[in-house]
Amino acid sequence: MPTRKPAAIVFAAGLVVIVAGSVGLLLTRHPTPALRPVAAGVAALPAPTGPIAAPPQSAQPAPVASPVSLTIPLIGVKTQLITLGLTAGGALQVPSTTSVAGWYTGSPRPGAVGSAIIVGHIDSLTGPGVFYRLSELRRGDDAYVKRADGTTAEFRVTSVQTYLKDRFPTQTVYGPTPDAELRLITCGGAFDPATGHYLSNIVVYATEVS
Amino acid sequence: MLLAASALLLGIPAAATASAASATTGTGWIRLAHLSPNTPAVDVYLYSFGNSNAEIVLHHVAYGTVSPYEEVTAGDYSVAMRAAGASPSSQPVLSTSVTVKAGHAYTVAGMGPESGLRLQVLDDQLTTPPGKSVMRVIQASLKQQTVKFTCGGQTIVPKATFGSVSAYQAIPSGTWTMQAIGSGATATGRWAMEPGTVHTMVVLDGTNGLEIVNLVDAAGAGQPPAGGVTTGFGGTAGHGPGSPAPWLALIGAGALITLTGGFRLRRRGLRRQLTIGS
Repeated sequence: MPTRKPAAIVFAAGLVVIVAGSVGLLLTRHPTPALRPVAAGVAALPAPTGPIAAPPQSAQPAPVASPVSLTIPLIGVKTQLITLGLTAGGALQVPSTTSVAGWYTGSPRPGAVGSAIIVGHIDSLTGPGVFYRLSELRRGDDAYVKRADGTTAEFRVTSVQTYLKDRFPTQTVYGPTPDAELRLITCGGAFDPATGHYLSNIVVYATEVS
Repeated sequence: MLLAASALLLGIPAAATASAASATTGTGWIRLAHLSPNTPAVDVYLYSFGNSNAEIVLHHVAYGTVSPYEEVTAGDYSVAMRAAGASPSSQPVLSTSVTVKAGHAYTVAGMGPESGLRLQVLDDQLTTPPGKSVMRVIQASLKQQTVKFTCGGQTIVPKATFGSVSAYQAIPSGTWTMQAIGSGATATGRWAMEPGTVHTMVVLDGTNGLEIVNLVDAAGAGQPPAGGVTTGFGGTAGHGPGSPAPWLALIGAGALITLTGGFRLRRRGLRRQLTIGS
């Protein structure tokens, strides 16, 4: 009689494994819906207080201090800015964590004449990154960059563009400008699970306001 | 003409002097300058063509003043100069028209001596060769009619005459000593020429001798990154169902275990029957 019990347990365990496998199979046959951005304004932050610095003069412009933080009230972005360089292959480095944005040190400082480049992740492997809602920005929205000397530069969005990465317009995004401008860059478009990369970049163009 | 010729020499297509970014928004830039040494201060007006209300008015613009760039919608404009304080409806001393193309920048400068004052429209360059800086020289000194301009000991313009504007020239980035050398006076300055920046060096009559003003026409990433950026891991992206293989393997393993258990149960049952039977 006692020999009967282990065999029955093995039989039952086998059934459990079959059921678990079937449930798993059925559940994963439906694609997981993408997380939808929260409604605009839900996580809106107040605009930073304190003096807003004037845009630069073209004659003997005053030196501008390094950027330390970025605030975009409408989409709830408030992040420290780390510094980024280029990779050995000449591509732009990206922040090593997805929760902060970074400024490319080879571009002008935000608020100086020229196009300052700031980059952040749209997401990590598990959830939203610092620039998750960047594509919600529209012409006329504000972004603020605080500098190491305590001054703040205010920028206003002029356009939001999506570019396929293999047709990225380098000159348009990184080329010289005669006024103080900002480029906020993240990923977007379709995600390719085979490579683990998004196929496009979202670029927000903004100009300093006085 | 001179600009186009120099662009060809430098191997930069003339069309590439614009900023592609603002071309997408249909705007360009304009800045206004007073570079006529013996002309008193003026009021400068910028009108959208055919509109009598000025878009921009700069008051009491004195010799040597250059305004910041103003972003304007592409189209036709006219620039008028009046004596400082003159009525906005009075006849301007001087006026000129300028066509602003999207993505282009212009300097409209009062140039020459007061007796021959003219408004000159300069097409400002917005590109540099990778890793380099570019500069041009405006000679606006009346006291030193001809000036030699050097950068780091190299001659940039051998004989800049009063009221002339040189073509842009590429120079290696770095901090350079620049000199404007006239027959009776010399000005010296030291400036950092960052890669990816465009400069106009203006030679002026100072209170004593010559003066050099460094205008930053434009700036960008000196070493533009290659291609786009990799800023996502897909954690919020919609994704497909993935492979069913692991689940099928699990079901197979379950079936195997069940069969093993069932087989053993049956064997024990048979053996018991046999025992009872004997």
